[in-house]
Amino acid sequence: MSADLRVHIGGLELKNPLMTASGTCGYGDELGDYFNVSILGAVVSKSLTLKPKIGNEPPRVAEVSCGMLNSIGLANIGVQRFISEKLPKLEKLGALLIVNIAAKRAEDYVSLADALAKVSFVRGLELNLSCPNVKEGGIEFGTDLGTLSSIVKLVRKVFPRTLIVKLTPNVTRISEFAKAAENEGADGVTVANTYVGMAIDIHSRLPRIHTVTGGMSGPAIKPLTMAKVFETSKAVRIPIVASGGVFVWQDFVEYLMAGATAVEIGTALFTKPDAPARFLEGITDYLSKENIKRIDELIGSLRVNPENVPHLKRN
Amino acid sequence: MPGNSVLETAITIDTLEVANRTFITRFRSPKIACMVTPGQFLMASFPETSDPLLPRAFSVSDAQEETMSLLYVAVGKGTGRIAKLKPGEPVVMNGPLGRGFPDMKGGTSVWVAVGGSGAALIPILDRAARKTGTEITFYYGARTGAQLVNLDGIKNINHATDDGSKGFHGNVVEMLKEEMKKGRPGQLFGCGPTPMLVAMKKGFESQIQTYLSVETPMACGMGFCQGCPVRKSGEGDYYLACKDGPVFSAADIEFEVGR
Repeated sequence: MSADLRVHIGGLELKNPLMTASGTCGYGDELGDYFNVSILGAVVSKSLTLKPKIGNEPPRVAEVSCGMLNSIGLANIGVQRFISEKLPKLEKLGALLIVNIAAKRAEDYVSLADALAKVSFVRGLELNLSCPNVKEGGIEFGTDLGTLSSIVKLVRKVFPRTLIVKLTPNVTRISEFAKAAENEGADGVTVANTYVGMAIDIHSRLPRIHTVTGGMSGPAIKPLTMAKVFETSKAVRIPIVASGGVFVWQDFVEYLMAGATAVEIGTALFTKPDAPARFLEGITDYLSKENIKRIDELIGSLRVNPENVPHLKRN
Repeated sequence: MPGNSVLETAITIDTLEVANRTFITRFRSPKIACMVTPGQFLMASFPETSDPLLPRAFSVSDAQEETMSLLYVAVGKGTGRIAKLKPGEPVVMNGPLGRGFPDMKGGTSVWVAVGGSGAALIPILDRAARKTGTEITFYYGARTGAQLVNLDGIKNINHATDDGSKGFHGNVVEMLKEEMKKGRPGQLFGCGPTPMLVAMKKGFESQIQTYLSVETPMACGMGFCQGCPVRKSGEGDYYLACKDGPVFSAADIEFEVGR
């Protein structure tokens, strides 16, 4: 008999812990060219803003060792066109949809959440409070505890279904931000967005990204985010969605052991657009070989002596 | 076109060095080979390694029945890896991707300007022209004669070199301007480095229907990442090179000048 792969975030049941990372699979419908998206725990669509955004000037992407930098600038078609054009496609594909939203002002987050609350097919929201590439907005919100708390509180009032807050890793103690989100009623936190990074073309002396710095993703960041998932797991009781550098199915198991309830696949989709299907096979095989009946047994199952991590003691 | 692309494990047939650091690798890739049209591209990836991490974009150079070839200059980690593939070795291809050149209609004439690794498109365009009865002429430029790839069996190639070591002395756009004094084609295609495309847009778009295949950094090739914007003419908005291109009507796009 195959293992029970179901996990829960707030009131939402995912058929398995595999999710896509926002911004790495378009609006989600494009994935359907490569595999059946209904096999995913959830599809997280790219950040939507109230009005369409054209995004940053090129170059927007650059490869670095075992990773990449991006600075897309939240290019998107806006929430209204998403609802009218993309939702019907996603519905047809049988996806469980979580929509990621971003804004520059608290009231815009509320308007977005309000509009999406009216669409029952949107099962959850992921609040992007952490885009490193939009100067006036995201990063400020995500690095200030007070602002983060007030936005989560406002959105919580208008969005009754699963609410996940995507955190930036570009802070000293990410667990404090996770706690703040938990205190304001978030159902889960995504740990984490990309790391601020930079690369230079030594021949032209130009930055390899138009905005000079960009968000670093890919396998190179996995150990960094692993530490943040572990830190967060010692601070909050709400589920953690891990996101950072997953490249093979084993990474997925590692994140669950570190304390994540679900895991997002991002940059790996660029190389392996059918990765989720392959990962599911690998994980199912592993569970069966290890004789594990329920995948949630893996969550936080890291064998660790609390005395070795005194700074992470739960208060 | 999006929607028709597939992931296919292509099998290496052989690799030939055809000019300085320039290679043609042939693959057995039956699914992609039978769908690809001139100007479309594919992403070749190495799923077992995270360095190089991202797939690499290649214009398909030729496709016939189950065989497909890529022509490229080996300059980095990705192209270097492709050049070292042994016969029988697999590589994962995602394609065909993007929109290629407009379909050729028999009885018309097309001139194609290519520079550097843009030469990749000569065989597939020539094949399409012969199939449709279109009169096609290539203008192929490089810095020196040693960098020009000898493409067996393809007639109607006029060469230009910056140092005058072979063919016209000067760049390919200067050669085109000379040729246009004698006559004009129905359509003009361009494929090569960005400065060449900029000069083609400036020089010819008002006189001839001109289509350009753009080069831009690209991470996924599928529209997932939105990382390859190309500015729309006269609008503060972008196309994506991977889905809306890589071939655009010159009149529809603007090149970023300076940064």
